[in-house]
Parts: sequence; structure tokens; C-alpha cells
Amino acid sequence: MSRRRLLALLVGGAALFAAAFAAVVIATSGSSSSDELVVYSARSHYGEEEPFERFAADTGTDITYHGGTASELYERLQSEGGNTPADVLITVDAANLWRAKEAGMLAPVSSPALDAAVPEDLREPDGAWYGLTLRARTIMRSAERVGPDEVTTYEGLGDPRWKGRLCLRRSTSEYNVSFVADRLAKDGPAVTERMLRRWMANDPEILESDTEVLDAIADGDCDVGLTNHYYLEREREEDPDFPVEVVWADQEGRGTHVNLSGLGVLRDSDSPAEARQLIEFLVTPEQQSVFQENNHEFQVAECCDFKRDPIDVDAAGARLDEAINLMDEVGWD
Amino acid sequence: MSAGRADAFALVTLALAALVAAPLIGLPLSFLFAPGGLAEFAGFVPEAALATLLLVLGVGAGTLVLGTALAALVSFCDFPGRGWIEWALVLPLAMPGYVFTLFALGLDVPGIRSTLGAVCVFTLVLYPYVYLLARAAFLAQSRTLIEAARGLGLSHRRAIARVGLPLAWPAILGGVALALMEALADFGTVNLLGVRTFTDAIYRVWFIAFDRDAAMQLATLLVSVTLTLLVLERLARGRARHTQLAARGDVVPPVRLRGLAAAGALIGPLLLVGFVVGAPLAQLVVWAAESVSEGLLAPEFATATRNSVLLALMSAVLVPTLAVVLAYGVRASRSRVAGVAGRTATIGYGLPGSVVAVAVIVPLGWLERRIDGLAGTGLLLTGTVIGLFYAYLVRFLALAWGAVEASLARIPSSLDEAARGLGSDRLDVLARVHVPLMRTGLATAALLVFVEVMKELPATLLLRPLGGDTLAIAVWQATSESLFETAALPALLIVLVGLLPVALMIRLSGRRGAELEAAQAAGAWAEEYEAVRA
Repeated sequence: MSRRRLLALLVGGAALFAAAFAAVVIATSGSSSSDELVVYSARSHYGEEEPFERFAADTGTDITYHGGTASELYERLQSEGGNTPADVLITVDAANLWRAKEAGMLAPVSSPALDAAVPEDLREPDGAWYGLTLRARTIMRSAERVGPDEVTTYEGLGDPRWKGRLCLRRSTSEYNVSFVADRLAKDGPAVTERMLRRWMANDPEILESDTEVLDAIADGDCDVGLTNHYYLEREREEDPDFPVEVVWADQEGRGTHVNLSGLGVLRDSDSPAEARQLIEFLVTPEQQSVFQENNHEFQVAECCDFKRDPIDVDAAGARLDEAINLMDEVGWD
Repeated sequence: MSAGRADAFALVTLALAALVAAPLIGLPLSFLFAPGGLAEFAGFVPEAALATLLLVLGVGAGTLVLGTALAALVSFCDFPGRGWIEWALVLPLAMPGYVFTLFALGLDVPGIRSTLGAVCVFTLVLYPYVYLLARAAFLAQSRTLIEAARGLGLSHRRAIARVGLPLAWPAILGGVALALMEALADFGTVNLLGVRTFTDAIYRVWFIAFDRDAAMQLATLLVSVTLTLLVLERLARGRARHTQLAARGDVVPPVRLRGLAAAGALIGPLLLVGFVVGAPLAQLVVWAAESVSEGLLAPEFATATRNSVLLALMSAVLVPTLAVVLAYGVRASRSRVAGVAGRTATIGYGLPGSVVAVAVIVPLGWLERRIDGLAGTGLLLTGTVIGLFYAYLVRFLALAWGAVEASLARIPSSLDEAARGLGSDRLDVLARVHVPLMRTGLATAALLVFVEVMKELPATLLLRPLGGDTLAIAVWQATSESLFETAALPALLIVLVGLLPVALMIRLSGRRGAELEAAQAAGAWAEEYEAVRA
């Protein structure tokens, strides 16, 4: 290669690369304008959910979605600080709302409409976040091998008769962590640890997702498990004869554990008014019933046809680290 | 060359190395800023240490035995189809650990969710490192040594065991160290199999407990394990070079296998590669076909493909370019400091991607706020692709550096001096001596970076700009929803792209004629691969 060719190649290549780089940087740096809402969402089908699309169509607001896990969105918000393009944060779990509020990421919203639509234990007292939908985490049983009265309580999953017949999702699931934190807050460490140790004594099979737990019960790998209720409804959409039944746990006691997907306006939003309108729109009865029909979650205003354990997000939130440690100690993978 | 000039080179090298290594060197600072951070999760440390130790021992033994045995088979024995088997055995390198794990989980192998299961998976996917290095070392051995041993009364088999193996030992250990570093940095496999290594503990503490300080402290512990392995690998490699220089003469003539032995030598490796690469690939193809015919394609599949290719292409230019600058700085300055700086700049590759991602986003966010305060530029770094490219640089510079350095090292400085003596200036030397000799190394560097960026998940997830989903993100999103059919097509594309470097490797070595030349090429390739992976 001659010297001139090399020089030409280097200069040309550098110029071309610089141009491409600049183009990509500019193309990706689009900041949010005031008639656009940026939603950071941990909900799985973000961007495809009907109520959000309806809001965009009704109000002429562009909604940009950015999906991810709760922790990823949290890190991102922390690092973006006051410059965040995001206006609304949606999580699938109460613990993550609690963490966002503790970190000062959420701005309190004052809205009589929201206060009227969302029951008191399903919103933050100052309006930092509101529940969007509810999801029960409860017992699933094989419709073929387990009778309706054989297991009715969370404690009951620790009965030796379920040895080798219990399926659980991994302890890194935020739903499981929230569940244990909630038990710790309400029952105390001794009772909670005893329950978990009895579960572990049954050698539960640990699976990746709630769907896998349900499939394992249907396939006969296990007889009972613990999942969010709407995953069963999804299975039934595919197969109306899916051989798994839900058991609403602890109906004689405090009631079934319920978690919430919720949302709040971010402190550094540049369109807080539109963000509030979006939340108000999403909790109207029409949109709530769309969530119920499409994803089988429960509405915040009228949940449920079974007894639900009241939610105390602050008490459970303070126990999250304890829950993670306890699950580790008892050997829940 | 004047002293002032040399200092300038050292300075450039130092600055570049500091830029790349800063986020990782900053990890131990978390012990200063949050001294009690890890106390909250003290129970995780002994557990992670034990699991990591078991994994290191198991994978070390597994890859050592499997890799060396296969290398000995193809080096010292001849059987029909050996030429094919020789290269087919490299293919598992292209199979990402988590893809194979998903496949193995689908088979419901009993006991796979255990440390032993993880050891087996890692052994099957990572043995090619040992295989490649051991094979290169075997082929570089002189027949005279083996013949001398036979002349002293040893059988062929014992001659290989008593002379051939010990000679290759440093290279084999180097390969084991590489496999172990891969295993330590892996997250997908241990997470899927529920093995609680340091990577898993970091994941729990950071993703589930949101405790960044404790996560960084766990990461510091992991880094110290990785660095220990790196040092061991360096030591092994240093001796390996020595033995290769000593080897001269023809290669050891292989023993011809017949009948059952020949059939076993052909079928065993075929079954192995079929199981590790063929079967999972076939499964992906079936799922991908289903997803296409049923319209279950990942949303925005086209955008994700475009983003992946664009990011990978630009990184494949950017990262090797900086590696060349770094390698030249080290070469020109000849100072020890520059050499150490060069090494330091490449530690990012031995770390789990999620650690690199946090280590990068924290200082970037800080810097961005300072710049914004002065110039009002907003999210200049984390909100655009700049932050993402920086993360790729931190993570993958080692890959490019290894390939570039290996090819640069083969150009003796006497060649530079000769060219300069004949009246060429520095640029001339670069154009007419270095570039032609480094072409292969540069192509390797670009290809490896391209493939790795296509696969990269944690840093991309954290630092991608709005709307910047990639194929790896599409796979992750679909699998976390248990939508395996939807995940299949993007996963298939990633695996197929991963086959490119292996194909290139096979092609390059196939071009040489004589067996000795092929052996030397393989040795160079393996060394490159080894340097690259270090």
C-alpha cells in the first residue's frame, strides 16, 4: 500500500466514521418535548397496551415507551437525574414504587379524581404513586390430582404431603420478594422463617417464570405452586381445558396476598400536567375494565370477589432486604 | 528516537488506558464510600466463594481433560474425516452458554440445576479454548523428541504421555485459565441453573435489593479472583512461548487408527458437536420457523436488527482503532509503565457485563451532570449512543488489543529499523510494513468485536438510547416472558453471526499447504485467540 493511499484511507475513513457517529448521536439524542410523554415502564407488553394507545389518540399526545426491568430503569433514572426525558414511571410491583419514592424520584400529585378512584391502601398518602392494577399471588393446584380443599393456606404449602410435588418460581422474582417482605411485616421473622423452611423441606422445584410453574403443574411435574393469578387466565386463553385451578389462599385468615402494578409522575418531568392526566385516564372505569379484559388483572377500584389481604407498602418496603437475606438463608434458589 | 518523543507515547497510552480502565479501577472505592455496604448481605460472600471455587475446580478439571484428550486425538492419531473433525471441534465456541443452557433445560436432564450441571454445561461450551491451545502446542512439537523417547524404550502412547503432554502443559494451563475466566464472567448460565456464584450474588444484590454499593463490593471480590487467574495465565503463557521456540523439525507423525477405533474417533466428536451445537441450532430453526409462520415475530424485529448491526459495525471500527493506538503507544514508548497501562486497559473483558454496565454508568452520569452544568447539553452521554460505545470500549478493548498486539508482536522492531534505515519515515513504515503484516490481526479484531457487540446484553440494556432495542434485548425480553418461539429468530441470528470468526479461522488455516505450516498457523491463531480472550 502506498503512503498516499494509506493517508487517503485514514482521512477518508475517519471522516466517514465521524459523520456516521455524529448522525447516530444526533438521531438518538431526541429529547422529549412538552406535547410528548415519555413512559419508563416495567410492564411486559409496554407500548402495546390499549389504554395507553387510546390516551394518545384521544389527546393527541405522543407517548414514547422505554421498557426494562425495574432495577435497570431505576439506575437509569438515578444517572439521568434532573435531565431525564421520562415523565411517568410504571412498575409491576409495589416494592419498586416504594424504592422510587424513597429515592425521591416521584413527585406528589394532587388530584381529587385519583383520590376518588383509587382506594386508600392502593396509593401513596401524598400522591407519589397510584395503583394501576392488582395481581393476586396465590396457590395453584392441579385440577386432576389435587382437590379444592387439600391446600387452602400459604402455610399449607409446607405440609409434608407436598414433598416433591411443589413448584416455585426463583427467589429473584420481585413478586416473591414482595410476598416474603409482606409476610415479614405482618407475621414477624420467626413465623415467616418457619413457613419458608417448611416449604424448602418439601424440595420444591425452582422454575424461571410463573408460566413455567403452571406448565409444570399441567404436565404433572408438580401438583401445587405459587403464581400470580392472571398467568392462569393467559394459559386458559390458549387452552380452555388447562388442567390447573386457582386457590384463593388464606380466606379464613387475613386474605390472599395482593401486589400492585402502579405508576407515578417523575419529579423531573417536563410535562407533569399531562402525566397526571394520563394516570387519571388509566384509572377511569372504562380503561380499568380494558386492563381486566386484556391482561386479566384486577381493577384497583373494585377488587376482588375474594378476601384480599390489605396492602401496606411502607411496612413491606422496609423489610425488602430482610426478605432477600431470609430467602437466601433458607436456600430458596 | 528522542526521550521526549518516547514520553509522549507513554503519555498517550496512559491517558487512553486510564479512560478505559477508570470505571473498573473505581470499583474498590465503594469500600471507602460505603464501608458497611456488604454487611447487610454478609451471608452471600462465603456461599458465593464456595460455589465459585467448586465451579473453578470442576470446569478446570473438565475442560482440561476433555480439551486435552480431543487435541491429542486429532494431533497424534489419523482417521478418516480427521480434517473435518479437527475444525468441527472448535464450533462450540460460537454457542453462547445461555442458549445451550436453555436447550439443555428443555431436555429436562435430571440434576442439571446444580453446581455439577453448571460444570458440565461450561465444560461442553468452553473446552475449545483448551483444545485449540493444546492442539497448537502438540502440532508444534518436534518428532525428534518423541523419537528420542521411543528410542529409550517407551511405547508410542507412553512417549506422548511422558514427553508430549509435559511439553504442552503450559499451553494447556493457559487454555484452562481462559475457560475459567469465561465461566467466571458468565451470568446467563449460572442464573438459569441456580448456581450461586459471585456473578449471581452481584445480580441479587444489585437487581433485587437495588444495593449498588454492596454489588460493587462483591464485584471487587470477583475482580480479584479474575486478576489472580490472569496472572496465572500470563505465567503459563510465558513458559509456553519458550518451549515453542525450542521445538524444531518435523511434526510428530500421527498413528493411523483402524476399524472400531477409527469409527469411535469419528463418531465421538461428531456426537459431541452435534449435541452442543447442532441440536440447539436445529431447535432454534424449528422455533424460528414457527414464529415466522404464526406471526409471533418479536415486535420491531426489523428495527432491532438494524440497531444491532449498526452498533456492532461502528464498534468494530472504533474499538480496533483505539486498540491500534494503544498497542503502538506501548510499542513505541518501550517503557514499563506503558506496558502495564496497556494490560490494565484490557481488564474489562474478564468481568460480567452487568458489572461493567454499572461501573460505567455511575461515572458517566456524574460527568454528564458536570458538563450539563457548564454547557447545558443535557443527557449528552447516557442519553445518546456515546455512553453505549464507551461501555463497549471498556468491555471489548481486550479482544481487539489481543489480536492487534499479537500481530504487531510478530513484526520484529529490527524490521522497523531496517525500513527507517532505508529512508522511510514513520508513516511509510506504517503503510508499507505494518499494515500489510497486520491485516489479518485487524480483521480478527473487528470481527470479534462485531460478534460480541451483537451478543452484548447488560450494558446495552442499561445504556441504550430511547428506542434503541437490539436483537439481544429482543431475545431477553421474549425469554423472560417464556416466549421461546419469539426469541428463536433473533437468537438464531446471533448464533449464526457468532460462527463467522470460527469460519474465518478455518478458512485462513485451510489456505496453507504443508502440515507444518498449518500447525504454525494454528499455533498463531490459537495464540491470537488466547491473547484476545485474555
